[in-house]
Amino acid sequence: MTRTTLSRLLPVLALVGTGGCDYDIANPNSPAVIGENPSAAQVGAAANGILIATRQDLADWALDAAIWGREAFRIDPADTRFVQEMMQGPLDPGSRAFGGDHWLEPYSAIRSANDLLAVISTASSLTPEQQSATSGFAHTLQAYNFTIVLSSHTQDQIPVDVGRDASAPPAPFVTNAEAWNHVIALLDQGATELVGDAFPFTLPAGFAGFNTPATFLQFNRALRARVAVYRGDYAGALTFLSQSFLDPAAPLDRGVYMDFGTGAGDVANPLAVSSQTSENFGHPTLETQAQLQPGGALDQRFLNKLVKRPSRSGGTTDTEPVQTFSSDLGWIRYPSPSSPIPIIKNEELILLRAEANINLNQVVPAVTDLNVVRQTSGLLAPYAGAVDQPSLINELLYNKRYSLMYEGGHSWIDFRRYGLTANLQAIDRPGPPPDVIFPTLPIPAAETQPRT
Amino acid sequence: MALRVCGTALLFSLLSAQFAAGQVRQISGRVTNTQTQEGVPEATVAVMGTEIVAQTNNQGIYQLNAPDGDASLVVRAIGFKRQQLAVPASQPTADIALEPDPFNLQEIVITGQATGVERQNLPNAVSTVSSSELNRAPAPTLESALQGKIPGAYIQANSGAPGGGYQLNLRGVSTINASVDPLYVVDGIVVSNAAIPNGQNAVSCAQCGGNPRNQDNPVNRIADLNPDDIERIEVLKGGSAAAIYGSKATNGVVVITTKRGQVGKPQFTFSQKFGVQSRANELGSRTFNTLDEALDVFSDTAAVTAAFQPGRSFNFEDELYGRQALSYETNASLSGGTENTKYYVSGLVMNDEGIAINTGYRKQSLRSNLDQVLGSNFQLQVNLDGTHSLSERGLSNNDNSSTSPFVAFSVTPSFQNLMPGGGIHEDVTAADFPVNAFAASNPLQTFSLLTNEEDVWRIFGTSTLRWTPVQSARSTLQFIGIGGVDYFQQDNDLVSPPELQYENADGQPGTVVTSRSSNRNLNAALNLSHTYNSSGSEEGTQWTTSAGIQYEDRKLNVTQVTGRTLLSGQENVQQTTSQSVASRIEPVRDLGIFAQEEVLLADRRLLLTGGVRADRSSANGDTEKFFLYPKVAASYRFVQPFGGVEEFKLRGAYGQTGNRALFGAKFITDTTGTIGGQFGTYIGNRAGDPTIKPERQEEFEGGFDATFAKGRAELTLTLYQRNIRDLILEQTVAPSVGQELRVFGNGGRMRNRGVEASLTLQPVQSRDINWIFRTTFFANKAKITELNVPPFQTGGFALSLGTFQIEKDSSPTQIFGLVGTDAEGNAIAGKVGDANPDFQMSFSNDIDFHRFTLGFLFDWKYGGDIINLTEFLYDGSFNSKDYLEPGGGADRANRLGAGFTDAYVQNGSYLKLREVNLSYNLPESITAGLFGEAIRYARLSLTGRNLLRVTPYRGLDPEVSNFANQAIVRNIDVAPFPPSRSFFFSIDLGF
Repeated sequence: MTRTTLSRLLPVLALVGTGGCDYDIANPNSPAVIGENPSAAQVGAAANGILIATRQDLADWALDAAIWGREAFRIDPADTRFVQEMMQGPLDPGSRAFGGDHWLEPYSAIRSANDLLAVISTASSLTPEQQSATSGFAHTLQAYNFTIVLSSHTQDQIPVDVGRDASAPPAPFVTNAEAWNHVIALLDQGATELVGDAFPFTLPAGFAGFNTPATFLQFNRALRARVAVYRGDYAGALTFLSQSFLDPAAPLDRGVYMDFGTGAGDVANPLAVSSQTSENFGHPTLETQAQLQPGGALDQRFLNKLVKRPSRSGGTTDTEPVQTFSSDLGWIRYPSPSSPIPIIKNEELILLRAEANINLNQVVPAVTDLNVVRQTSGLLAPYAGAVDQPSLINELLYNKRYSLMYEGGHSWIDFRRYGLTANLQAIDRPGPPPDVIFPTLPIPAAETQPRT
Repeated sequence: MALRVCGTALLFSLLSAQFAAGQVRQISGRVTNTQTQEGVPEATVAVMGTEIVAQTNNQGIYQLNAPDGDASLVVRAIGFKRQQLAVPASQPTADIALEPDPFNLQEIVITGQATGVERQNLPNAVSTVSSSELNRAPAPTLESALQGKIPGAYIQANSGAPGGGYQLNLRGVSTINASVDPLYVVDGIVVSNAAIPNGQNAVSCAQCGGNPRNQDNPVNRIADLNPDDIERIEVLKGGSAAAIYGSKATNGVVVITTKRGQVGKPQFTFSQKFGVQSRANELGSRTFNTLDEALDVFSDTAAVTAAFQPGRSFNFEDELYGRQALSYETNASLSGGTENTKYYVSGLVMNDEGIAINTGYRKQSLRSNLDQVLGSNFQLQVNLDGTHSLSERGLSNNDNSSTSPFVAFSVTPSFQNLMPGGGIHEDVTAADFPVNAFAASNPLQTFSLLTNEEDVWRIFGTSTLRWTPVQSARSTLQFIGIGGVDYFQQDNDLVSPPELQYENADGQPGTVVTSRSSNRNLNAALNLSHTYNSSGSEEGTQWTTSAGIQYEDRKLNVTQVTGRTLLSGQENVQQTTSQSVASRIEPVRDLGIFAQEEVLLADRRLLLTGGVRADRSSANGDTEKFFLYPKVAASYRFVQPFGGVEEFKLRGAYGQTGNRALFGAKFITDTTGTIGGQFGTYIGNRAGDPTIKPERQEEFEGGFDATFAKGRAELTLTLYQRNIRDLILEQTVAPSVGQELRVFGNGGRMRNRGVEASLTLQPVQSRDINWIFRTTFFANKAKITELNVPPFQTGGFALSLGTFQIEKDSSPTQIFGLVGTDAEGNAIAGKVGDANPDFQMSFSNDIDFHRFTLGFLFDWKYGGDIINLTEFLYDGSFNSKDYLEPGGGADRANRLGAGFTDAYVQNGSYLKLREVNLSYNLPESITAGLFGEAIRYARLSLTGRNLLRVTPYRGLDPEVSNFANQAIVRNIDVAPFPPSRSFFFSIDLGF
């Protein structure tokens, strides 16, 4: 037996904790979703957050839709899906990029706006007018985001009830017609809400000239006019255009832009790529179909947006016939990482008015507007072609194609609306499988789960 | 709990202890091997019922001071059976002969936080790896040294980049979205195995396409441990063995014990290794025989015409990865001590030169382990380890900017020259390199001028105080207090100069990423153990009771500043025109309480054990709640049950463990950004689950261990089943929610069934030759048995390029892809493979022949598919080596084009010669002449790692993971850093 004795003095063992015993650790990395009675700063952050959420998809959308509308190729050897999937298909609804794209990001922006709208009326630091103007801002951007979803998905399966609990079954689908009506309702509701002298927050530079409720309303009406034209409501479109910032005398690029930048936390414009070495190419038809300026130069809009570069080809070489295509046109549309991407601009509004007038058989004002754009933007001679409706539509589509190049799939949307996408398919590969211009993207696989 | 153990310190206030010393007497003698009659060095001789221990010298001689009266000695030595001997009061000498125990049946294996049992009674299949098994051949990191040595473990390198990056997976997939790594416990404290991305995404843009998973090829930080400091590793593979570690133990626990000093004269060991690493494999690319052939593929006529010369082709892989620079590793240690003070001090200096230009891994470490006896009842252990490592890993893995070498090579025809006229040298400038006309980057230029350094400083410090207030032949009571800190700082500096070819592409030439990360793991534990022996001898029933409380406080802090448009010649992120910051902080606090009872009875043949652990954590939704993890186990030894079998043990165990959700899984947050200088908040991409709780694993394990053929063979077989419930899932939600993913608990159940077996033989044992052969077998099948959401896909890049589909009644690692199109031309999704191997085996031989030792280890994985997207890239650019061959690149690309993914889902089986070691012990006549009489041994060795590989896989290496450590999304090959083989010559000296 051990002789060690310790029986008399028992050691006292003490555990002394220093510091708190707190197991409730708040998230140190990100703010919680905006809650009741938000401060003015929180409202401002949420409002600009809607813009940032909207911007998530913008550059992708401009590039992808340019490929579908044959304004561009992306010949990226590291990812042949830009050629295979985007031009031949099948579009894969399972991937977040490519076939399954242009869905999540717009819905995320709409959801973010819903989160703000849900609490804006409790913001005691804001006046009722400021609350209302904020709602008008949020509703307008929701409508814009829906137009992206609707322009890329024409299968009559669109959810409009956004931001349901993630654990609940997904929102029901409605038809595109119903969804467009929802967009119109959002814009009209936003229009009535845009009251007061000022928003309770500062908007980025891209909204310069449209950063008060009154001037933002002109942007709202411009979007409303675009929707009206898309829906064939040409008379209505003229009304809305008159309430917008359309002004043939103003600079054609006046409008609302989404900013990009290299500042802290900002995002550089991903379309600001090297014209000579990047993977983005201009579609060769843009060169071959460009009209000539009186001096013989190509349409100035082409010259402003594309430039020659070493040729690159895409496609497959080992099939018979060889299925390749190539381009020697490089992008200069977005020269700098802080070049903004337009949401809607004066030039489009003038063309929308021309389009409405053509469809209402009002040839003279239509040609006047076309000529403003032709002469100012393209440095072309006034329109001298036939003035029957099909000819004017062709001329309109030509101008929209060159004026709005790489700004959000205008060729794809506009030619599709008139059933003229075949005109865009000049040099495509015969297949099999043949190149196609898809009328729509598939509904993303994640959205097609069983629903209520 | 009344005890407060939060915060930073456990303070023991120890009022008093009287140290009484009785009369002593001296006992001395010699410990020998029964078979060879040679002395057994480093055997411990302990006086039962006391703390008195002595150690034998090289001749097996010991000497100790025992209390007056009759004494009972217990003698132990590694590789021998324990022996007990009574020494009457009058007897001053005692010689003891030990029987060899080649299978280490009597080594003590831990079974709790503070207790252990001899292997012969162990109720679980715990794998142990000793120092000598671990260090057979130089390994860059601990995990590579473990490959092929643990049945039940799947250890895979994520790439061949120098400096590590491995995943260690025990008994199959145990989770889908929760923590992946096993728990690493070093000398009683939980240490970090965090993997922090290096920031190369700013250049590679791998996540630019919206992929949520990082592809920076990070190093997981267990790489910082010096394998040479490790005395032994015990691997608790699953719930039944690891239950006592509670809610962090589902992925198993790797318990590492470092070396300690032994009583005796100072012993000095020195080991110097020199070697080279060389490229193990190459992909090659297409050879273009004529200008027409080249022009058919590459339409940039001017570039092709300028570059093409008939018969000229370059081997880019050789140019970039062909380096064979001299690597070295120096290890030295000094150990020794007296009965009261023991020390072990070691140092490491290592320099692994990478196979690629400007890559490598350097590590230095210094460890001091001290043991001090404080009076007769207290013992203090203090361990301090500091390590520094610097790794340069270049760029690798997927990108969207054509900067990762194999992405750029895939599109660059072999006739394009990338090498400067004057070759690559110290003063080479960006302008010296030819422009790669076919890709955004020239990888030779990139690797020559880009810096991507990871600089890590790490300190592990542990203090352990043992207090043994009661110690007698029948009863021992011990309190053990452990406090420890594991702290590291990781600095990543990536500098991509503006002159590099690709840097102009985004209009912001020059990129700097400066990352500063730190991690602290603070541990405090108090354990008590009480043993009671009914008779005070080996025959008695022994009760071991243990209980304790453990507190852990972790905090990971990662701050990354990315700067773009860098002033030429500068490296500081401040010298950029635009900067952005990303920062994340991950604090977690855990508290656990456990109690365990172990009974050894029936002449030490029957072992019964039971225990429970209760855990709470700040990571749970309910931070107040304690989650309970019980365990029970039993084993019975049959001694010579039938002819030829010496010992047969049946064992069975059951236990539960938990698995932590990843940090942040409980939060629903906004995300933030700026637009035109305005700050904004919008909905986060992922919805957390505010009620999240740990996943729960239930494991049943049963098996037997048999020793037969006169103690020359040991067979072990273990079957297990683990049921995992409350799976945490990250489900893709309908995007109209406004979010992409949702985290939630209770997502389903998974089942793993597997078998582990090992057979160890000693075919020859004589004075001259000793040969040990060991083979292991492991197979595991996992199945999702319940899924509370519709089937979903996770990981990869797209269905068409292979992804993983989680669905009920299927393997969680099944790979899905396109399997054709239906009548309407719509793609059909279907199973195209499974990443899970069918089985794994290893074969090792250790042969001692006179003064020679030969060891080698083969590691065989059968089955397990890999998604080979590197080949997809080459095929897509018409540039794969076999592009025009039947069944080659063109056929694969066409098959994908026709809607079939299977061409790129390839068999990842392999047989690798992991380790070879041939060493020669110089005879004493030579060593004494060279180094003097003090030398104990001198050994020369030739070692190799990964020297041979046989695989049907067409990529660089079937060990690959573009997304690094992942539960499911492994085995995706996108432009990895190529593997290497290494060959070393070493000299080991002991004084």
